[in-house]
Amino acid sequence: MANQGPTSQTILVVGGGIAGITAAVEAAETGYDVILLERGPALGGRVAQLNRYFPKLCHPTCGLEINFQRIRKLKNLRVVTMASVADVKGDKGNYTVSVCVAPRYVNAKCTACGACAEATEMEVDSAFNYGLSKTRAAYLPHEHAFPMRYVVAPEAIGTPEADKIKAACNYDAIDLDDAGETFEIACGAIVWATGWEPYDPLKLESYNYNLSPDIITNVQMERLANHDGPTGGRIVRPSNGEPVRKVAMIQCAGSRDRNHLPYCSRICCLGSLKHAAYVREQYAEAEVDIYYIDLRAHDKLEAFYQRVAADPQVHFIKSKPASIEIDDDGSPVLHGEDTLTREMYDRTYDLVVLATGMKPAAADGYAPPISVERDEYGFIVPSLDGDGGIIPAGVAAGPLDVSMSVQSATAAALKAIQAVGPRN
Amino acid sequence: MTVAPPAQADRRYDLNFARWVRDNVNGGDKMSLCMQCGMCSGSCPIGTEMDHGPRKLFMMIRAGMKDEVLNSSTIWNCTSCYNCVVRCPRGVPVTYIIQDLASKAVELGYVKKVENARFAKAFWWSAMTFGRTDERLVTTKFYWSGGLADFFRKSLANLKIAMGMVKTGRMHLGAPHKIKDRKGLQAILAKAAEIDARESKGGES
Amino acid sequence: MSDRKPGVYICRGCGIAEAVDCDALETLASGDLKVPLCRQHAALCSEEGVAVIGKDVADGTVNQPIIAACSQRVMADRFDFDGATTVRTNLREWVAWARPAGEEDTQMAAADQIRMGVAQASKMKPPEPRVEDGLSTRIMVVGGGATGLSAAIEAAAAGHDVLLVEKTRELGGWSAKWSKRMPHRPPYRDPQDNDIAALIDKVQSDKAITVKTETTVAETSGMPGKFAVSLVNGASAATETVGAIVVATGWRPYDASKLGHLGYGASPDVVTGVELEEMLAGAGVKRKSDGAAPNNIAFVLCAGSRDPGHLPYCSSVCCGTSIKQALQIRAANPEAMIYIIFQELRTPGTAEEFYRQAQEEGIVFMKGKVKSVGSDLTVTVDDALLGQEVPMAGLDMVVLATGMVPNATDPDKPATEKGTDQLANDIDPVAPIARAGNGEVDSPAWPAAAPEGGPILNLKYRQGPHLPMLADGFADSHFICFPYETRRTGIYTCGPVRRPMDMAESAEDAAGAVLKAIQAIRSAEAGMAVHPRVGDLSFPKFGLDICTKCRRCTVECPFGAIDETEEGYPVLSPTRCRRCGTCMGACPVRTINFDNYNVQMVSEMIGAVEIPDEFSDKYRILILACENDAAPALDMAGINRHALNAEVRVIPVRCLGSVSMLWISDAFQRGYDGAMLLGCRSGDDYQCHFIKGSLIGQERMKNIGETLQSLMLEDGRAKAVEVSIADSAKVGKMIDEFVEEIRGYGMNPFKGF
Repeated sequence: MANQGPTSQTILVVGGGIAGITAAVEAAETGYDVILLERGPALGGRVAQLNRYFPKLCHPTCGLEINFQRIRKLKNLRVVTMASVADVKGDKGNYTVSVCVAPRYVNAKCTACGACAEATEMEVDSAFNYGLSKTRAAYLPHEHAFPMRYVVAPEAIGTPEADKIKAACNYDAIDLDDAGETFEIACGAIVWATGWEPYDPLKLESYNYNLSPDIITNVQMERLANHDGPTGGRIVRPSNGEPVRKVAMIQCAGSRDRNHLPYCSRICCLGSLKHAAYVREQYAEAEVDIYYIDLRAHDKLEAFYQRVAADPQVHFIKSKPASIEIDDDGSPVLHGEDTLTREMYDRTYDLVVLATGMKPAAADGYAPPISVERDEYGFIVPSLDGDGGIIPAGVAAGPLDVSMSVQSATAAALKAIQAVGPRN
Repeated sequence: MTVAPPAQADRRYDLNFARWVRDNVNGGDKMSLCMQCGMCSGSCPIGTEMDHGPRKLFMMIRAGMKDEVLNSSTIWNCTSCYNCVVRCPRGVPVTYIIQDLASKAVELGYVKKVENARFAKAFWWSAMTFGRTDERLVTTKFYWSGGLADFFRKSLANLKIAMGMVKTGRMHLGAPHKIKDRKGLQAILAKAAEIDARESKGGES
Repeated sequence: MSDRKPGVYICRGCGIAEAVDCDALETLASGDLKVPLCRQHAALCSEEGVAVIGKDVADGTVNQPIIAACSQRVMADRFDFDGATTVRTNLREWVAWARPAGEEDTQMAAADQIRMGVAQASKMKPPEPRVEDGLSTRIMVVGGGATGLSAAIEAAAAGHDVLLVEKTRELGGWSAKWSKRMPHRPPYRDPQDNDIAALIDKVQSDKAITVKTETTVAETSGMPGKFAVSLVNGASAATETVGAIVVATGWRPYDASKLGHLGYGASPDVVTGVELEEMLAGAGVKRKSDGAAPNNIAFVLCAGSRDPGHLPYCSSVCCGTSIKQALQIRAANPEAMIYIIFQELRTPGTAEEFYRQAQEEGIVFMKGKVKSVGSDLTVTVDDALLGQEVPMAGLDMVVLATGMVPNATDPDKPATEKGTDQLANDIDPVAPIARAGNGEVDSPAWPAAAPEGGPILNLKYRQGPHLPMLADGFADSHFICFPYETRRTGIYTCGPVRRPMDMAESAEDAAGAVLKAIQAIRSAEAGMAVHPRVGDLSFPKFGLDICTKCRRCTVECPFGAIDETEEGYPVLSPTRCRRCGTCMGACPVRTINFDNYNVQMVSEMIGAVEIPDEFSDKYRILILACENDAAPALDMAGINRHALNAEVRVIPVRCLGSVSMLWISDAFQRGYDGAMLLGCRSGDDYQCHFIKGSLIGQERMKNIGETLQSLMLEDGRAKAVEVSIADSAKVGKMIDEFVEEIRGYGMNPFKGF
C-alpha cells in the first residue's frame, strides 16, 4: 500500500473468487485502499477451476488474466492469500477485523522455479481437481496461479519429505516452521464474497455417487475437460480411461428440492449445455442426454440453449431420474420416468454427470462473524437503505452466474465506497 | 362420509375436481405443489404396472379427469413403500394421496370396475371378519365379485397353483382360520371408525 | 529521452544459469550492445537482487533497468522503481524453461532476448499523462425509470452531482404502472409493494440530482470527463457538461399486434401483461368486452419471446411477472381458476419459492405450446404432460406475457442513414454458433435488419451516432467477465437495455454502471486509461506533418476515440482512448506512436535479432503475440516445460490491432523467414479485450499477401492464428507446424542483403 496503512476508509473484500476480485479491483480503481483476502493459496476461486464459460465457450483464465494485470497495476490494492476472517467488531465506517493466515510453508522468496515439487515423490489429493487426481506435496496451485507461488501440503510437514522439499529450494523460500499468523485490519466497509461450495453428491442417496467413478459432478466435468486437468482435457470414463459414447447429464441434482437445496441454482442448466458441447466437440459419435425438469436458459443465454439443442446428438428428456444403479460391468444405469412419453426407462451410460447445485459458503460455516441478515438457505440479504457496512457480493448474495456475480460485485464496490464516504 | 365430488366437467382443466381432491383427500392440499418432475413414478417399484403412475395422475386431477382418475389402476397398485414420499422434491405426500383416493373410490362406488379394488375389498372382508386372511376365501370371494363367468375362468386358470399351495401347506381346506377374540377386533375396528369420523369432521370445521 | 541510462540485469536463478552462459550474455550487453552497466545476480527478485537495482536507480546510474529474468507477468511489483522505466525480457519461461539447456540455439535465443530488451529500451520514454481542462464530475443518467432512478440515487450517494434526463412527463417508467413487484427479499413468497414512488421522492428531494423531464438528448460530443450534451425540452435547448453518462433507457413491450395467432385483436379479452398490470393498479381486473370480473383466466407465456419469428431471446421476467399477476388476481378473487401455460418455467434462484407459492395457491401450471387462441377465447394447447391436444374452453380472459424489447435505439426518433449504416455493420448476423460440436448445427434466426429508431445520445463520433449493439438488439456489453465494458468509454448502459432483467436486478445493475462512471471520471482526472489498460498514462501521438489523411485510424479505432477535423486530419479525444494501439497499427506512414510503445520500438526489436546466414540452416521466424492471451499462454507453456521452437523470436504486442504491417515487411527485408501473429478469437464470440482489435489485425493480414508477392515471397510466410490463453499445451505445436511450413518454402532469399 502506498499510504500510511489501513484506515477506516479502507475497504476489505473477503473472498478472492471472481466476485471478490471484481469488487476489489473496481473499488481500488476509484482510488480507495482495498485489501483482498483469499482463503486458498491463489486467487480465482471456483471460476479458476472452470474449463470454459457459457455462452461464448471462452476460457475463464482470459478474464482472470486481465484482472490480475489490473491488480498488478494497483498500488492501493493488497492481496493476502491463505487468509480468512476470524472475527469482526464494530460498525459501518469503523470495523476491526481479525484475520487468520494459515501456513503455506512457502514464503515470498519463492520464485516458482518448481525445484521443490521435483524433490518429492509424496502425493496428496488435488483439491483443485476435485479429487480426480493427485498432486505433489509441494505444488503450484495451477499453471495460471496468482500469486505465482508454491504451497507445501500440510500432510508433508513433519515427514522426511518436508526436509527434501526444503533442501531443494535454492532461494530459502521453504519455511517449515510457518505457523501462520493473525493480525487485525481496520476498515470501513466489508464486501463479503465467499462464494459457494458444490452440493455434496453423497447426499443424493439414490444416485449412488460413491458406487462408480463414472458418476461425476458438474464441477468435476470442468476439470476433466480442462487442458490443465487430470486427463489433459480428454473427456474419458474415469473408471477405465476409455472414450465416452453415451453421456447423461442430470439437472437439479440437489437443487429445486425440499430435501436438499430448495432454490434453483440457476447455472446448472447452462453448465450442462456447455458440457454437452464439450463432449460433442471431442467425439463425433457421442450422444448426450440431458435430463431436466425445466430448461432454464434465461435472457440472452437462450441462444446458447438453441445452439446446443440444434445438435441432433444432444437429447433433452424431461425427467428427474429416480435412481442410478450400477450394472454388472460397472456402468451406471439411469432409471426413471420420461414425463413426456410416460415411458419408464433403464438406460446405461459411459458417464453420468450430476449437475449439483451451489450451496453458499456462508451457509457452510463461512458466514461473517457478525450479525447480518441471512435467508433460510444461508444467502446474505443486502441491508436496506445502505445502512450496513457489510455488503454481500456474488454467490454469497444468491445463486448467480459469472456475469451476474460480476454485476453484483461491481455494485458492491459502489456500496462500499458509499459506506466509507468521500475519499479523504 | 365423503363429500361427493362434482360431476365430471365437460371441459378439460375445470378445477372443481382438483379442489375436491384438495379439500377431501388426505394430503390433497399438498398436491398442487407437484412440478411434474417424474421422480415419484420413476421411484415406484411397480410403476410399470400402473396405467398412469402418480405424476400423471396428479396432472389428470388438475385437468379435471375425475372418472379416469378414480377408475385408474394406479391408486390400487400402490404398495405403500413410501419411496416417492421420501424422494419427492416438493414434499408431496404421494402415498397418502393415492391411498386415500383409493378409499374414496370405494366409497363412491368406482370399485366395481377395478379389479385391484375388488381384490382389496375381498382381502379387507376376510381380515375384518376373521381377524386373519384366508387365501382360499379371499380368492373365492374375489373371483365371485367379477361375476359367474369370471369366477369359472379365473378358478380354472389358477387351479394348478391352488393344488400346489394346498400340497405345500400354503393354503388349507376346511374351516377358515380365525383369531380368538373376534368380538374384540370388531370393537377395535368400530372405535377406529369412530375416531376417523370425528377427526375428519374436525378437520373440516 | 536524452538522459537515457540503460542497465542490463541478468538473473541466474530458476535454471537460467544452467541453461545459458550468462557471462556471454553480459559480454554481449556491455560489448556489442554498448550498455554502460551490466550485472548478474543469483536471484534478481530476492530482496538483495532488488536492492542492487534499486541502488543503481537511486544513485542515478540507471533509469532504464532492463531485467533479463522471468516473464513480465510475475514479480512486477518488485521490479517497479520510482523514477525508472523498467523493461522486462524473458529469459526464463521463453528460454531456460522452454529450450534445452546448454545448446547453441538456446544461447542464441537468450542473446536475442537481451538484444530485444536493449532495443526496446532505446525507443521508450516514460509516458507523460495528458490531462484535459474543464473536467466535470457530474454524471448524466438518461432514462427516469426504475433503473435510471436507482442510478441517480446511487451516484448522488457516492458524492456526485447528477443530471437525470427523462423523455416523458413523469418519472418512473413502466414500473410506475405496477401496483406490486416480484419479491426479492426473503421469504421470496408474496408480491411486494412497488416502492417506485419512494424512489421518485428520493430523487426529487435530493439536491444533488437535477431532474429534466420531457427532455431528450439532441446530441453528445466530447469525451469522458467532459461530455458536452445538448438537451432539448420542447422549443428550448441547453448544453450541459458532464463527466460520464449512464444509459438506462429500459425497454418497451413487444408489439402484440404481431401476435395475431395468439388471438390478440380477435377478442378484446385477449390482453397483454402490461394491459393487465394497468388493470391491477387501477380499477381492478375487468373484461374489456363486458366489464365483468373474469373467473377463468389463462396466461400464455413466451408470447413473442423465444420465438425465431419474433424475439429470439428469453425475456426473463415474464414467468415471474405472470406468477405475480396470477397471485394478485387470486388474492382479489379466491374462486378464480387461473392457468399459466408455459414451455419451460423459468424462476431461477430464490424465485423458485415464488413458483411454489403460486402452486400452493392453486394456480395451475400447464406445460405446452399454445397453438391458437380463438375469438371465443378457446385456447388450444399441445399439452405436453397429458400428451394430448387440449382445447381450453370457457375462459373469460387470456393474458399474453409479451416480452421485452430493449430501447437501445429511440423508437420515437427517426432513423438516420448514418446510424442505420453503423448498426448494420455492427450487428454481425453471422450466428454465434457452435464452433463446438461435430454435427451440422443450425443457427437461430436473428432479426435480419438493424432495429428501427434514432440514436439515443446522437454521438458526434466518427464511428456513428449510436451506442454499439449486439445482434439481438441489446446494447453492447462484454457480457461475461466485464459486463460494463462498452466501446464508448465513459458511457455505461444498465438495466433492460443491456439484458432482460427485473427491477431488483436493474437496481443493482444501475449501481454497477455508476461505479464504472465514477472510475471513468477519476481516470480522466489523472489522464489514465480505464479498463483493460488501467492506469496507463500513455496515449497515441499523431505526427500530423506527414499524415496523409487516409482516415484508417479514425475508421479502425474500436472505441471511436478519433474524430476528423474538417480538413480530414485525425483528432484524438484522449479520455475515450483505451490505448490498444489499433490506430498505430493502421497508420501506413508510421506517424502514430505512444511514448512507451511505438512503431520504431518494435521495428528496432525486430531488427535487433541476429539473423543467421543462409548456410547455417537456422531459420528465424517472428512471432508477434498478444500480451493478454497469447503471451500468457506461452508463459504457461514454459511453466509446464513445453518446448518452444528454437527458430522463433517472440515480441509481445498490446493487441493484434496494434500490429503495423510495416513490421512484417521489415522483418522479411531483414531476412526473417516467416512471421506469425498470435491473437484472440474474433467474431461474435470475440475474446479480444479491445473488442475489434484482433479482428482488425487479422483483416489486415489478409492483404499481406500482396506485400509478400511484391517481395517475391510466398503468401504463406505470414499468417495470423487465433490462440486462446488456455492453449498452453497446444501453442507450441501450432508454432512447430508453422515453422515446418516455412521450412517447406525454404529460406528467405533476402537473407544477408
